[in-house]
Amino acid sequence: MSITVELTYDLAKALGSRRLELEGTPTLRQVLTLTRDRFGAEGAAFDRLTRVTALVVNGVIASRTHSLDIPLQAGDRVSFLKAAAGG
Amino acid sequence: MIKGYAGRILDVDLGSRSFAFQPLDENTARLYLGGKGYGTRLLYDLTPAGIDPLGPENPLIFATGPLNGSLAPQSNRFAVVCKSPLTGGIGSAACGGSFAFGLKKAGIDILIVRNQSATPVRLEIDGDRDSVTFLDATDLWGQGTRATQEALGKGRNHAVIGPAGENQVLYAGIVSDERIAGRTGVGAVMGSKRLKAVSVTGTRKLELEDQEKFNDYTKWLRKLFRSHPVLGEKLRRYGTMGIVNTTNARNILPTRNFKYGHHDDAMSVSGEYLEDHGLVGVKSSCIHCPVACGREVAVEGAGRVKGPEYETAALLGPNLEITDLRWVNEWNFLADDLGMDSISLGVTLGFAMELQERGLLQAGLAFGDATGVSDMIQDIAHRRGLGNELADGVKRMSERHGGAAFAMHVKGLELSAYDPRGSYAQGVEYATTNRGGCHVQGASMYFESTGPLTIDPQSLRLKAEIPVVQQNLACAINSMVLCIFTTYGMIPKQVHALDPKSRLYRTITYFFERSGPLYRLLMRLKLAPVTWFEKWLTYITGQTFTSGHLQEIGERIFNLERMYNLREGIGGAEDTLPHRMLHESTFPHLDSGHPLDQLLPRYYEIRGWDPQGVPLQRTLDRLQVRT
Repeated sequence: MSITVELTYDLAKALGSRRLELEGTPTLRQVLTLTRDRFGAEGAAFDRLTRVTALVVNGVIASRTHSLDIPLQAGDRVSFLKAAAGG
Repeated sequence: MIKGYAGRILDVDLGSRSFAFQPLDENTARLYLGGKGYGTRLLYDLTPAGIDPLGPENPLIFATGPLNGSLAPQSNRFAVVCKSPLTGGIGSAACGGSFAFGLKKAGIDILIVRNQSATPVRLEIDGDRDSVTFLDATDLWGQGTRATQEALGKGRNHAVIGPAGENQVLYAGIVSDERIAGRTGVGAVMGSKRLKAVSVTGTRKLELEDQEKFNDYTKWLRKLFRSHPVLGEKLRRYGTMGIVNTTNARNILPTRNFKYGHHDDAMSVSGEYLEDHGLVGVKSSCIHCPVACGREVAVEGAGRVKGPEYETAALLGPNLEITDLRWVNEWNFLADDLGMDSISLGVTLGFAMELQERGLLQAGLAFGDATGVSDMIQDIAHRRGLGNELADGVKRMSERHGGAAFAMHVKGLELSAYDPRGSYAQGVEYATTNRGGCHVQGASMYFESTGPLTIDPQSLRLKAEIPVVQQNLACAINSMVLCIFTTYGMIPKQVHALDPKSRLYRTITYFFERSGPLYRLLMRLKLAPVTWFEKWLTYITGQTFTSGHLQEIGERIFNLERMYNLREGIGGAEDTLPHRMLHESTFPHLDSGHPLDQLLPRYYEIRGWDPQGVPLQRTLDRLQVRT
């Protein structure tokens, strides 16, 4: 089992992939680091694109239920979420 | 007459082919503004309980409000009110386009269409000559909404129906330009009258109380809207489809007939994806709108057409397990051209697919398979074959074929594209909204899931208060008549720049969640006009409007709608959510659905209603709701 990381459209476009599969049960902080690592030398682009972005775990904004340092569970879905929208 | 109003109601009788102009009642305008509010008052007073929604006694009321014709941004909408053939209760829908502007230029605040014509008819209204011409519409009968409007020509503003309305599909709508008054089957009522189109013209000028202040303020506001993160950037760039990725991440994107709230490939029907794949242009199809949220796409055989909105993309997309935009674009065009509500259509198709999957119906439809869907949409509009059944919506389908537990409607109106299990206030709003399961009668999800500063969507805190305040505000906005998107501008751009991971963000949402009574109190204050709705109304009418006034007017309208429904036998028992929403979870940390039973009593208490959901007499007296 692994953790699925869903990217925002901008991140997906920059990376050429909509989602990442991370093995094991990393913490959210590690998810951030591992995702940033995928950008290699373009880490600054990752920082810019995630500046006002929430982390969502299984549909719930992470800051409410997860500390950045608590390990995720196998099968969890982590989404980068850019808010500010209409409907 | 109060400034901002033309001062006239046009009353048309299709049976006798006669018409009369009547004065608008100033007191009713003060109490209900116009639009949906005034229209509901008229419907309540003009009809007895129990009329046939598709019979001659159901009036079709087109209503504008004091903002229409003023050139205020996004004041291009009109309301349509009648008894709903879909729900049997209050029917109302709002529509952009240019018809509202045309009515006001013709010096008409409200158009009432009564009775039925024996043969297809269309109306030409000339406000300068005070004339109404009844014209044969046999040649237009059967035409799509686009061809009909092309045939009627430019120079007039039109409201038309397509084949779905003609054939009384219970979720048929009324179209102006490329916008639709979609919900609750108002187009079926127009079709029952054999009224194909209303065209209006006039050159009257609207008189405002303080034109100079209005102009200065509006000029400033246009700039503000253009630089706003939602109105000026996101909606302008991506249209409403720009929230697909948001609702998907929040687990509230209807997927597979609302079984799930997330689809792995939802990004393929998002506004961002459309921008890179098939966007042809921007459609400013609502007159005087600086936002221009409409998209333009190409559909084979139809050319450049208006693209889907979020609701359409979600409900004709992931809700059917379809993520190919070409199909969504085509089905969206069909729904618009045939003249039907794409929300109800998408939910009904999803329901039929699940019935088929469970062996309860042979519809020739399957999740994830586009085969047969285009034909079925045509069959629905023309009431052919099984399409004749799907044309009645999910409630009636479930009564015939079973599947009530996964029939996604409230009071007979199919749910919009926000799963309430991940948006509790939106769930309360769906359950209690008088016209049924709709999102634009409050848009509570903006505070929980789709806005820039959202509270915990699955806490019980503030989840009864938000729908009350939002429903009241939406009633007032739909009576001005203004686009609800203007409310997004109320949250300043600085808030949009807050990082959701920051301590400040968490602190603000922490206190907002716990603000309950204070939040309601603040909204009720009548100190001074603050928002643009209040300022515009004040400059236009010369009367002072504050958030407290708008809350009171909205509450009055909401309670009158409630009394209409109660008169039709629709009460607290119908304030519920589909079984799937209440008992199935889509979140791994929860083992049940929406906690409506814990929130509804509090909602009733705030509303001043009894435990059965009936307004107390003292509430009606306070609001001057005459029944």
